[in-house]
Amino acid sequence: MILRRARYELQGRLGGRLLAAFEGWLARRRHSRRRPGPFGPPLESSRKLKELMSVHYFEGRYADGAVPVAWVTSGFPVEVLRPLGFHAVYPENHAALCGVQRLVPALSDAAEREGYPRDLCSYARTDLGSLCSGRTPVGRLPRPDLLACCTNICQTVLYWYRALSARLGVPLVLLDTPYVYGSTKPHHLRYVQDQLEELVRVAERISGRRTDPEALLATAGKAKEGTELWGECLAAGRHCPAPWTAIDGFFHMAPIVSLRGTDACNAYYRMLRDELLDRARRGVGGLREEKYRLLWDNLPIWFAVRELSTLFAARGFNFVCASYTEAWAEAGARIDLADPLGSLSAAYTHVLLNEDLEHRRTLLGRLARDYQVEGAVLHSDRSCKPYSIGQVDLRERLARDLGLRVLLLEADHSDPRAYTAEAGETRLTAFMESFG
Amino acid sequence: MRAVALGVDVGSTTCKAVALDAAGRTVLERLEPADPRVEPQVERMLEELRAVAEPGAPVGATGYGRKRVRSSRVLTEITCHARGAFAHAGRPGLLVDMGGQDTKVIRIGVHGEVLDFAMNDKCAAGTGRFLEVILGRLRVPLAEVAGFARAADRKVAVSSTCTVFAESEVISLVAAGEPLSGIVRGLHQALAARVAALLRASADAAGEIEIWMSGGVAQNAAMVAALEEALGRAVAVLPRPQLVGAIGAALAVLPGGHP
Amino acid sequence: MTRNEYIARQRQAHGRLSLAVLPVHYPKELLTALDVLAVELWGPPGPPRGDGAGRLQSYVCALARNALAFLAAGKAEAVDGVLFPHTCDTIQGLAALARELGGFGKAIFTFLHPKGPPRPSARAYLEAELRALAGELERFTGRALRPERLRAAMRLHREIDRRRALLLDERRRVALSDSALYELLRRGEWLWPEDHLAELRAAAGALAPTPVQEGVPLLATGYVPEPAGLFGALEEAGAYLAADDYAAVGRRLSRPREDRGDEGDPLRLLAEAYFDAPPCPTRSADSRGRMRYLEGLLERSGSRGVLVHVQKFCEPELFDLPALRSTFAARGVPLLVLEGELEAKLPAPAVTRIEAFVEMLTAGRGA
Repeated sequence: MILRRARYELQGRLGGRLLAAFEGWLARRRHSRRRPGPFGPPLESSRKLKELMSVHYFEGRYADGAVPVAWVTSGFPVEVLRPLGFHAVYPENHAALCGVQRLVPALSDAAEREGYPRDLCSYARTDLGSLCSGRTPVGRLPRPDLLACCTNICQTVLYWYRALSARLGVPLVLLDTPYVYGSTKPHHLRYVQDQLEELVRVAERISGRRTDPEALLATAGKAKEGTELWGECLAAGRHCPAPWTAIDGFFHMAPIVSLRGTDACNAYYRMLRDELLDRARRGVGGLREEKYRLLWDNLPIWFAVRELSTLFAARGFNFVCASYTEAWAEAGARIDLADPLGSLSAAYTHVLLNEDLEHRRTLLGRLARDYQVEGAVLHSDRSCKPYSIGQVDLRERLARDLGLRVLLLEADHSDPRAYTAEAGETRLTAFMESFG
Repeated sequence: MRAVALGVDVGSTTCKAVALDAAGRTVLERLEPADPRVEPQVERMLEELRAVAEPGAPVGATGYGRKRVRSSRVLTEITCHARGAFAHAGRPGLLVDMGGQDTKVIRIGVHGEVLDFAMNDKCAAGTGRFLEVILGRLRVPLAEVAGFARAADRKVAVSSTCTVFAESEVISLVAAGEPLSGIVRGLHQALAARVAALLRASADAAGEIEIWMSGGVAQNAAMVAALEEALGRAVAVLPRPQLVGAIGAALAVLPGGHP
Repeated sequence: MTRNEYIARQRQAHGRLSLAVLPVHYPKELLTALDVLAVELWGPPGPPRGDGAGRLQSYVCALARNALAFLAAGKAEAVDGVLFPHTCDTIQGLAALARELGGFGKAIFTFLHPKGPPRPSARAYLEAELRALAGELERFTGRALRPERLRAAMRLHREIDRRRALLLDERRRVALSDSALYELLRRGEWLWPEDHLAELRAAAGALAPTPVQEGVPLLATGYVPEPAGLFGALEEAGAYLAADDYAAVGRRLSRPREDRGDEGDPLRLLAEAYFDAPPCPTRSADSRGRMRYLEGLLERSGSRGVLVHVQKFCEPELFDLPALRSTFAARGVPLLVLEGELEAKLPAPAVTRIEAFVEMLTAGRGA
């Protein structure tokens, strides 16, 4: 056990870094002769991002048996688990990776063979398929000792994690966050906090540790700071030209989701922020020539990010902001170290996807104004109903209230079988042509 | 030998009818494209069969239009295909029936009974119609399909999951200079993958169980080859593959039961 | 009398307001105690019509799309408001749509019932949520909720559930076709409870002393037995529903684990009773518990096959498909999955599947 723990730490500090450095060297060699195309110079910070995430997955390979392992939904208050020594794995992040690498059809097939219909969320199919087949692009995911599920992003995670719990024979703790229609009621927040206290006791039993209040405060503080730093990175996009694209943002979002509450996460975002502000000062843009500024709503289309961003960039269209990335900047604002559990309860109840359409409409309106966008693409993601329901109305309101040109694009966040590239590109091109 | 039992399979694409003797052997068979006006067509076909049958020979009816036929017994095409297949093989197995508008997978037990079944009848992309539409558009006659597919030296994937979009995709592939043989092979592989998924959806297709094929599409050697490739297993095409259902329907009314 | 006429009569003759209620779980006792008629909206079946039809994407279940189209097209003029339980992502979104951007114009209520096991946090929360909803309904009706009226409503609904449970549990002895039985049961989705109870009492005469149903007994699990043509297809095929786990029907029957009596705060008692209902994927996080419950239901009813009647895109139900398949495969019980889209008429392929399934069961497998 001690040896395993030592190996976990060592691999995290050393092995992972070496691996990331080697992979980075290989990538640079491959791309050294590639012309930049319509994009501006790549972000220097990207190298560090790759290293950070590689280390995370690499040390994960040695986590089980060494430290308690939790599989966690992206919206779960991981701040209560980190002080107990849990290594947190994010199946959604893993599934996004699979989406980018176009592995979802094969993994989904494995899940479909088990009887999961293709109409289910593609993240869930990817994760269940990976579990059933044992296949993953990250080497190995550690087996969980605990499943931690919070329904603030959707109810589907409840059914997904329920299935994981049955398959793995692992306890599931649920943080059920009542949806916010306009405003929360006191008993809603009381419920969330009560559940948080209940589940912390379960997590303590599994980790064999009691929560150190100092450690909890420290983690919550780091999480708060991390979301603020992430917000500063995003805000750099307000400059004209924006120093990066929202598509970059989807990738650089990984630490605030998967490493929230850690020093490494915050150090990374300081570095990224500084680089972005420096570029903004020097007028270096995410695009070589930014002619139009757009907003992206909903999850990205992971399997087509490169093609789509190039399609837009080639005509000078830059996505300068996105509701999905913005959600993670908002999340930590309510964290208050004077009342960690109470404020965490409020923070995680008020996550973007747990708030109603009016809230989202307000957010999109604010983004449109602050980032001076002229148009928007609303990705109608068939795998994500909480995000997609209401987009037909949203499109009308954004067009009418803000005079934006808005396109509703039907696709999926990670299953390419649900997207017809040719038809999609035709529509996107026509959309761009409509700008004159 | 005069026939003692008649069976009719009123499909949406073709109408099939057989007359069986007491030993279950086919005395007469008929196959025609289905007429939307089902009743007169079936009556005419049955009349032809009655000419070689004992008076009062019972009629078993199956298929899409089974309830519109005056018959002694009505059974679904699942049950009838199982009986028809078992009559030939005499062993348990897995039957893949690919017709014009649907695809069925039926697991058949030691007594010819249906153990389990799965159907793809909601989406044309998993049926013979997929090939019909696209091959028709490419103007590749069915007789030449197998030759085309065999000649393919390169894999050309057709990834659209919808027949209509696959058609567009194929046109683009042709325009891009992809060889027709590769495209034809790719089409069959795409369809075979969907059928293979249906097979796995039906409980335990694993093991040493035999796999058979019936239906109009079974006459397409390229499809059989593609399915074998997708499953990694041998697939045996039943003799007179389009008549399996009608035979099963007749067997269901054979006096004294199936021999 | 049509449903709309009945609703109008309830207002005219009895001064009762009405609320359209989306599936699945809601505190009907509370509505009854405040003299509010609940009109459950399970569709309606058929393609969505009217302006509202395009506001929900095609990958949203037909139940929600039809309900929104129905509400948006002004067809809900008969009711005074709508109640949305927190059933799933889709109904959650439907409530937001109707409330914020829909211009719907009627009073909108939500019931955010807890998910997961009956933890102390959930019990306390549910009681508070019920209290909050009660307050809103008091303002809506202009009436005060009196504890003795709530107790009376709880007794009334317990009696209704007892009679419904009797008809379903003793299905073999009920001399009614599935069509007739379900028509009777489903009238409870909009009749004033006392009227529904009267009909249930009258139906007690259909209960024979010995089994009268001769068809192949099936267990059905799913959301709603629509289209109603399903029953005719089953009957023609020679089968009947011997056990019911439809969310609209059997899954909402409260089966109290203990007799809590009438003492104590009725809202607290109501909150406790919530956890007594059979497992439903829209409420619980325990898949294994649900499978055990269904196995018990199968055994008690003597069912020979399982019909899983899901609606396309219904995540809570669909995630349990593999567990349903493996649970019953392990017992050698054949299972048929029918995926519907709330069509007006049962499509021919569905009829074929049902018939093939019953032929399979009749030929001996599962006997």
